[in-house]
Amino acid sequence: MNHNPLRLIVGDNPFHGISHLSQQRARERTPPQTPQTTQQAAHIVERSVENGANGFMFSVDETTLAIIQQLRKNHPTSKTNLYAIAPYAYAYVRKATQTGGVSGLAMNFARNMLFSSNAKVITTNLGGLAQFNPSALLKTYTAYELSRIKSAAGNDAHIESFMLHEIITDMALALNMESLFKEYITFLENRHIRPGFETRNFSILIDKFNHWNIDLSKLTLTSSFNKVGFQMCPSKRECEEALKRAGGAEIIAMSVLAAGYLKPIEAVDYLTNLEGVSGAVIGVSGEHQADETFRVFRECC
Amino acid sequence: MTPNQSPLKIGVVGLGKMGIMHACLLNTMPNVEVQALCDKSRLIRTIAKRSFKDATVTDSLDKFADLNLDAIYMLTPIPIHYPLIKQIYTKKLAKHIFVEKTLTSNYNQSAELSTIAQTQDSITMVGYMKRFSTTFNQAKQLLEEQAIGKPESFKAYAFSSDFANTPKSTPASNARGGVIEDLGSHIADLAVWFFGDLTVTDTKINSQLSPTSEDDLSFNVTTKQGLPGHFDVSWCKQNYRMPEFNLSIQGTTGNLDVNDDEVKLTLKNSPPKHWYRHDMNDNVGFLLGGPEYYRENQYFIQSILSKTPPESNFKNTLSVDYLLEQVRRQSK
Repeated sequence: MNHNPLRLIVGDNPFHGISHLSQQRARERTPPQTPQTTQQAAHIVERSVENGANGFMFSVDETTLAIIQQLRKNHPTSKTNLYAIAPYAYAYVRKATQTGGVSGLAMNFARNMLFSSNAKVITTNLGGLAQFNPSALLKTYTAYELSRIKSAAGNDAHIESFMLHEIITDMALALNMESLFKEYITFLENRHIRPGFETRNFSILIDKFNHWNIDLSKLTLTSSFNKVGFQMCPSKRECEEALKRAGGAEIIAMSVLAAGYLKPIEAVDYLTNLEGVSGAVIGVSGEHQADETFRVFRECC
Repeated sequence: MTPNQSPLKIGVVGLGKMGIMHACLLNTMPNVEVQALCDKSRLIRTIAKRSFKDATVTDSLDKFADLNLDAIYMLTPIPIHYPLIKQIYTKKLAKHIFVEKTLTSNYNQSAELSTIAQTQDSITMVGYMKRFSTTFNQAKQLLEEQAIGKPESFKAYAFSSDFANTPKSTPASNARGGVIEDLGSHIADLAVWFFGDLTVTDTKINSQLSPTSEDDLSFNVTTKQGLPGHFDVSWCKQNYRMPEFNLSIQGTTGNLDVNDDEVKLTLKNSPPKHWYRHDMNDNVGFLLGGPEYYRENQYFIQSILSKTPPESNFKNTLSVDYLLEQVRRQSK
């Protein structure tokens, strides 16, 4: 039984036109991106916060950075707790398609990072960058994304956690890249930002991190937890049991509504009986949904 | 794998998106060792050397010769599948081959490789991963159970926004071999899997990116039994964030609609039924890219270990190559 109140975070999937339930449904619900939709999205985040959300979790890209800019414009003094996820894999995969593959994308990307990133980070990692060392590339990339967030949210932005997107986390897990994980964690800790990982393979991550003696209590981990076991690999039972071995990590449950397959009250019932989850990220696409969903979660969690 | 059996030694050729993903997934499997990687790009090879520490990383397929590999994954752009697969067989670089769809760019080349594979007793598989989707499997089962009676016609589409807003003459689309191979082959394979061999009756191609590229096309087909079908394929559609594949089948007692996310069964004399992936236990041992990729890799490895030809081997998927060839010919 979960006795501590859950930290509730508003997610950005609806703003990107993502529905893991049905792409057809997402298409029907997603308006074209305009300044009005950015304002509307910022308003939905604000309504969610008014109704009990404690922060905003987002993939770093132009759409979400514009929303964050709008939030800052609407409320210059009030700081939303930010949970950033990078890279926004979809945008990069699409770019790779259009630029003729991964190597074309990598060259393009390296150029962007070199011209816009933190000079100190580049200098520190110069040796590693010259040798295309994955850890050095990741650290430079992280600095680049942090600079983008701060340019949208302000230098005093409250970044609760900076999380590695599932595609990178899970590839590095598959390849047992222990040193990459450790260097990334140290890099963020030195910048006083809580390191985080988004994963679709929660129990495997927990077991590998424990095996590598990574201090889980310093981390934020986001993964799927829902009543129907949707995207809980290798199984719902193994993911739930792994929570007991999570060593005090801040665990944020995603897909709690299984992409709209479940009703909020069903999600609440499941989460409140699940020991070890600290928070839940929930995407909402309209003001009424923001009011209703976060009210239900706030009252029951 | 029996306890004393040594792991299968695998080589991967082409470290683009698909190559990296397959190599990562293979690395999570207990009965597999990724022993060799090959890519033309120096940058990619350098990163690969640091990520796959125990593997040989090279720019030349010939370097695979001394590694005694069991199988090679061919994950390069489609236009170079044919010479490279031929090289694998000629130089005996590995016995078994997995190739990302389509097998080659034309039917004759695919037929030739299929013949070579059979003479060499090679376990082969073409990566038509939609066959490993829970929704399409559910739909196939419903069709076999005659849930909609006798099929009378079908409509199929494969849409993405990959090139929806790109400037004209984008070279990357040509490198991928055109929309019919890249996107259309998946939906063509599903239709062949569901209904058997298809004959193309007419084709219409709209080139949007450059005069020679196939970006948007439609074609009509018929099965041996006379079942008519219609296909629409485009990678220039707006608002298809992820590629989407859909089959709508009209039968004597109802309709069946299936895509990557859901299955809808609409019957004339009983209430409709609707399943999402959530209803079908879509979980796998390691999730990366999509559960279908893990399942297809697991199936290929198991096929080698059990010496059983996969359903989508070179020979069986010639029906798809033949269908695509008809579309290409009719469009000229």
